[in-house]
Amino acid sequence: MRRLLAAVAAGTFLFAVTACGSSDDGGSSDGEGSSGGVTTVTVGLIPIVDVAPLYLGQEKGFFEKQGLKLKLTTAQGGAAIVPAVVSGQYQFGFSNMTSLMIAQSNNVPVKAIANGIASTGQGGKDFGALTVKKDSAVKSPKELEGKKVAVNTLKNINETAVRESVRKAGGDPDKVQFVELAFDQMPAALDAGQIDAAMVVEPALATIKSQGGREIASSLVDVAPDLTVAMYFTSTQYAQENPELVKKFQDATAESLAYADAHPDEVRQIVSTYTKIPPAVLEQVTLPKWPAEANRASIEKLMQLGEDDGLFKTTPDLDKLLS
Amino acid sequence: MKGLNVVLGGAGLAVFLALGEAVPRLGLVKEAYFPPTSRIADALGDEVADSAFWTALGDTLTGWALGLILASCAGIVAGVVISVVPYLREATASTVEFLRPIPSVALIPLAVLLYGTELRSVLLLVVYASFWQVLIQVLYGVQDVDPVADETARSYGLGTWARIRHVLWPTALPYVMTGVRLAAAVALILAVTAELVIGAPGLGARIAIAQNSQAVPEMYALIVVTGLLGLLINVGARTVERRALAWHQSVRGEVMV
Repeated sequence: MRRLLAAVAAGTFLFAVTACGSSDDGGSSDGEGSSGGVTTVTVGLIPIVDVAPLYLGQEKGFFEKQGLKLKLTTAQGGAAIVPAVVSGQYQFGFSNMTSLMIAQSNNVPVKAIANGIASTGQGGKDFGALTVKKDSAVKSPKELEGKKVAVNTLKNINETAVRESVRKAGGDPDKVQFVELAFDQMPAALDAGQIDAAMVVEPALATIKSQGGREIASSLVDVAPDLTVAMYFTSTQYAQENPELVKKFQDATAESLAYADAHPDEVRQIVSTYTKIPPAVLEQVTLPKWPAEANRASIEKLMQLGEDDGLFKTTPDLDKLLS
Repeated sequence: MKGLNVVLGGAGLAVFLALGEAVPRLGLVKEAYFPPTSRIADALGDEVADSAFWTALGDTLTGWALGLILASCAGIVAGVVISVVPYLREATASTVEFLRPIPSVALIPLAVLLYGTELRSVLLLVVYASFWQVLIQVLYGVQDVDPVADETARSYGLGTWARIRHVLWPTALPYVMTGVRLAAAVALILAVTAELVIGAPGLGARIAIAQNSQAVPEMYALIVVTGLLGLLINVGARTVERRALAWHQSVRGEVMV
């Protein structure tokens, strides 16, 4: 008994020591550190197609050229990324525009500094769509009045987009019943008839299409022709204290975005390294647009719609958020 | 008897796996959303061949083990101190009962704010959830101390430390072991949940990526792995419990007079 306890104690001690050792290694590269003119910055991403340019830019050396080394960490969504950026755990993060505007209107000190993704701007050929089941009677967003429509987050960009589609089709968005459901669960829920329509993005959109589902609207295109859907952001404090680093990140990101936009095959290749999207699905996935600059006019439109729908407590200050 | 149990356990598992194969094949649920056992097994084979899977497994186990050790040590020390110091138990009772039901998952924003998506965030959630399991058991265990034995130890002039070592600890140990066994399961659940939600590296993060990627068989393969881990941990915890309590009547199976 005593020997067993001693062995367990020794074992746990050794384990704790080695484990602490490895976590220490993580700790030192964790925040921002510089050595030999190279600054390591941590970027909080969501493991989806949208952020492929950063992985590609890292691989192509666009960030290295600017003296930056990216530590790309993935989180499940803005709920985990925003606090980590604001508290300085991460230097940069990825978030959709509505979330950033909601944060700004709540005086969360964030600053959008580089473009993320834009819709393709082509109806019927976008990376996100409002979809219905194969045999659904619904032909137009107007007919969604009184129906159940799934969005990934209530009171956020996708709800705004669906409401705009319904409005444009001549319906009353207030009569649509919105429910919250993760993108990855939408194909099954749509198929089983638990929801009448789903506002979905890739790769779940490809799954729905392969099951015979139909697009009834390209809602992100309905919001604005070339809608800036998401951007990279940092904390106001970090932007004030490290203007050169932010500038370098902006330059490298712009180069990466342009490269990704011009090389879709390389994008699909790099996406397969950090996601598990099956190759057959990945071929079908519609890629977003990656313009080097954000489209301010589209963001203003998105804000106006969000404001009409009561998403913001106070009007977001776009000059503060985007400058 | 033991052989029979193993046979029965194996048969139960076989039926379960056969059901998993049959239900999607018969079209009761769509294969695309719930793949049959054989496809999950295929995906599991691919996972096992991938070195990143083993790194993730290591990350999850690190979070689990460190969290469990921290929670157990803290729970035992806190439990003994609360029981031994006069009036402390009464003074802390309502606070403990207030803090204990707070779901660890509700602390995710706090964890991210403090530690980002690193191991420490996972540890915060794991330790918070498993600490109470141990603490409560220690408190019950200490309450179970035979007053006569305690008085006898006092009258023999045993000091506080000696009474903790020779009277309180042996009485509380079976409870502590139960607490640690429960905590081991809770710690695994929380380690995987934290990775799943926060995105800290580990099996949970891999499950989340598979989900986002519409890679359904891979997702179920990883879920199977977490189930197997839980099974192993439970078997391991029971073994440790039996060894540590070999002297105790509950394990020896005979009445002590």
